[in-house]
Amino acid sequence: MNTMNADVVVIGGGVIGAAVAYGLAEQKASVVMLDREDFQLTASRGNFGLVWLQGKGHGMPRYAQWSQEATELWSTFAEKLEDQTGIPQYYHRTGGFEICVGEEEYNKRSSFLEEMRAQSLTGTYDCEMISREELQDMIPKLPIGPRVSGASFCPHDGFANPLHLLRALHQAFTQLKGQFFPSADVQTIEYNNDGFLIQTNTTRFSTRKLVIASGLATTKLSALVGIKVPVRPQRGQVLVTEKTDHLFPFATGRIRQNADGSFMFGASHEEVGYDLGTTNNVLQDIANHALAVFPTLKNLQLIRSWGSLRVLTPDQKPVYVESQSCPGAFAVTSHSGVSLASIHSSYLVDWILSGQTQPMFEAFDSARFDVPAAA
Amino acid sequence: MFQPPPNVAKTIQITFEGKTYQVAPGQTVAAALMGEGYLTLRNSVVSGETRAAFCMMGICFDCLLEINGQPNQQSCMIQVRDGMNIQRQLKKGECA
Amino acid sequence: MSLPQYDYVIIGAGPAGMAAAVEARQHGLNVLVLDEQPAVGGQIYRNIEDLEGQRRDEFEKLGADYQEAFELAQRFRASGAEYRPGRSIWQIDPDLTLYHIGQDGGPSETCHAQRILIATGAMERPMPFPGWTLPGVLACTAADVLYKSSGLLPRGEIVLLGSGPLLLLIACRLLDAGVKIAAYLDTNPHLAPFQALPYLPKALRGHEYLRKGIAMLWQMFTSGAKVHLGVTGLEAEGEGHLQKVRFQQGSSTWKELPADLLLLHHGVVPNVQITRQLGCEHTWYEKQRYWEPVLDQWGNTSIENVAVAGDSGRVCGSANSVLTGQLAALETARALGKIDLAQQTALAAPLLKKQDQELAIRPFLDTLFPPRHPWLVPKNEETLVCRCEEVRVREIRDAVRLGALSPDRVKPMVRCGMGPCQARMCGLTVAEIIADERQVSPADVGYFRVRSPIKPVTLGQLTGVE
Repeated sequence: MNTMNADVVVIGGGVIGAAVAYGLAEQKASVVMLDREDFQLTASRGNFGLVWLQGKGHGMPRYAQWSQEATELWSTFAEKLEDQTGIPQYYHRTGGFEICVGEEEYNKRSSFLEEMRAQSLTGTYDCEMISREELQDMIPKLPIGPRVSGASFCPHDGFANPLHLLRALHQAFTQLKGQFFPSADVQTIEYNNDGFLIQTNTTRFSTRKLVIASGLATTKLSALVGIKVPVRPQRGQVLVTEKTDHLFPFATGRIRQNADGSFMFGASHEEVGYDLGTTNNVLQDIANHALAVFPTLKNLQLIRSWGSLRVLTPDQKPVYVESQSCPGAFAVTSHSGVSLASIHSSYLVDWILSGQTQPMFEAFDSARFDVPAAA
Repeated sequence: MFQPPPNVAKTIQITFEGKTYQVAPGQTVAAALMGEGYLTLRNSVVSGETRAAFCMMGICFDCLLEINGQPNQQSCMIQVRDGMNIQRQLKKGECA
Repeated sequence: MSLPQYDYVIIGAGPAGMAAAVEARQHGLNVLVLDEQPAVGGQIYRNIEDLEGQRRDEFEKLGADYQEAFELAQRFRASGAEYRPGRSIWQIDPDLTLYHIGQDGGPSETCHAQRILIATGAMERPMPFPGWTLPGVLACTAADVLYKSSGLLPRGEIVLLGSGPLLLLIACRLLDAGVKIAAYLDTNPHLAPFQALPYLPKALRGHEYLRKGIAMLWQMFTSGAKVHLGVTGLEAEGEGHLQKVRFQQGSSTWKELPADLLLLHHGVVPNVQITRQLGCEHTWYEKQRYWEPVLDQWGNTSIENVAVAGDSGRVCGSANSVLTGQLAALETARALGKIDLAQQTALAAPLLKKQDQELAIRPFLDTLFPPRHPWLVPKNEETLVCRCEEVRVREIRDAVRLGALSPDRVKPMVRCGMGPCQARMCGLTVAEIIADERQVSPADVGYFRVRSPIKPVTLGQLTGVE
């Protein structure tokens, strides 16, 4: 079997792997991107497409800062991808809401924003609570429900088309002479002083730098290079409606309207293992929330649903870590792969290529999950 | 291009695009409109190209019409009722 | 509040569903039949009660099997099964809780079954070509439905395209009703009858079918319609609606015909939306190039207490559909303790014998009328494959080249299968194109994952909010 050599091998062709692979290819590295055949588990194709800032990094200020930088980069990132590939990203930074139903939700959200403000590394947190009336003023075409108590509004939030994003990253990667192997199942990874030998079911690759961005398979593959990265699946169910007139130019974490006019409603948080099914009671909850917020949508027809698996670390925040036993091997995993695509293809790639430990990435090391030995 | 049968009692009144028609009971909205000489029922929401009923059995979703204010109804699956108000969807349906 | 409980819920009131209900009721089962149509008969016997009652001379022309079907409908009505017409199933849970909505737009209803029978029949195989979305282009069964349900007859320049016994049957029915057919464009290559000859001896046991087939061919050829054989390509054209067709036979020059209506038929395929939503195992039937649920002789699927009868299992015609319905009901009666295995075997014996006879002609027909490549994988890459989202052949091939190797990988890239029809019209074609691009069998490519809602349901219906 022939061995193919590359500067970097990226294992994982989802929105994180593809963003990293694209960024590496832009830096003129020779890059191989591998993905395996089993489609069903990819979070990249089943998400809500939010480019979101509010609420990110509670308890980890460094992540809040990382998210803010990613948001600031997104416009330029989207334009560059569109220029390179001709695939529109439909990125709209309209601002986003978390809409509160009932007084208790409003108060909880308000306290949460205070905590985010208090922990902020810059001293500010650009997200405010707004009243029911202010919310309705901002959405004149869509009457809000009687129990809506208000919302938190962040002007930096927005949304894009996640499927176009993935397609554009792949196409740009290929245009930049990156090589994509779509049915490669990694079986073994060997490490010696010359680097890594990666064996798949069909081919062998040799490289000095390896990036594991394999979603739910990250734990298994990272272990092969001496990194412990615990991830678990968490299901979210989503409903999609028929196309209708444009009524809602913003997004919330659970309701948005796509460019083609269809509404999307989500999202549950279920610990059900690797089950991609949709369940009636969860769909009811999602629909009930949508109608509590926008009751006039009740005659809108649902035509599609799906269940998708988020890839979550124990604290739900990113892991960016280089192996100590096998230097040159990196593991990269996070929720919010869409929001972070801009920074994954730039700053993260710089870090991977530089080969230097950098303090700004310490917060994301997976060592934070290791329970210290009892004294 | 469909000819309705002669000698059939047309006891149901429907309105289509503002015009009133007397049609026979026991048939679908799509069939009734085709019997009145209509072929094109809507414009595709993607490109605007004209569409008509294709399968007449609820599979193709091309016969979509707004019926009594409710958009995107499969007109080949809904029986005509007296007083029914039917509109074409030349743009995306509106809700509520 | 507890759910309505049934021993047996049958989805579909065509020949298979009705026969199963009648048999099940004979063994004392508590039966609910749900059907989307306003009356019994499924597709083939659409509106049969009305035809028998109000349109006698048309009814008599339809033939002896229609009389039998009418009698089945009468037995069904008298059986004591609870029958809910106009209901669409939109979800079935793994524990066999069913959710259904009505044409009237009222709230969704829920019930529970011990065993379910899916008898949703077949649908037309998609037959894409440039211009197939033009008003005036219809499935040939659509013309049949319009005639049976509403007495409507096509007029103007009528062109038929395709092959298969059903196209011929419907053509002759139209001719019997006095309709003038301008042209019959047969897509079967000339050599096809010779390939089917090995199956002819067995088929002769179904000699009644053969006799009928030959009579229909004769009627078609002597009708005055222009008959063109071996048609390998067609384009429908017109300003906003069909005005003419251009067609090709092999590599001949394109010929043109005026056309007001173009009726299509390229075989029928099982309607597997519900079996797919449930997660039943399906297998690829190479001869007729479709996926069918994996079934045992009683119609049991890979999912316990879920069975299939009729054409939504393997396309075998209405007479066999009746038999599979009866066999499935016997299995349910045994599974729920109403009869024992010995009784089931005894009652099934004559049905199995009849089934053998009915199926004798199928290998011959399936070989004589296989699906043809130019109509499975359109040569013109601008042809629309997904009608709902207007996705072209070219876009699907491009996605495969970018590494999307299955329908569910292609779908997020180009949106095929995301529209309201939920891939009913494009699923098979998408699989064929991917298979063609990858040079593998569609069996290796797979089909879309089908999810609820099986039919659209409003947020209000889903939640019960008024």
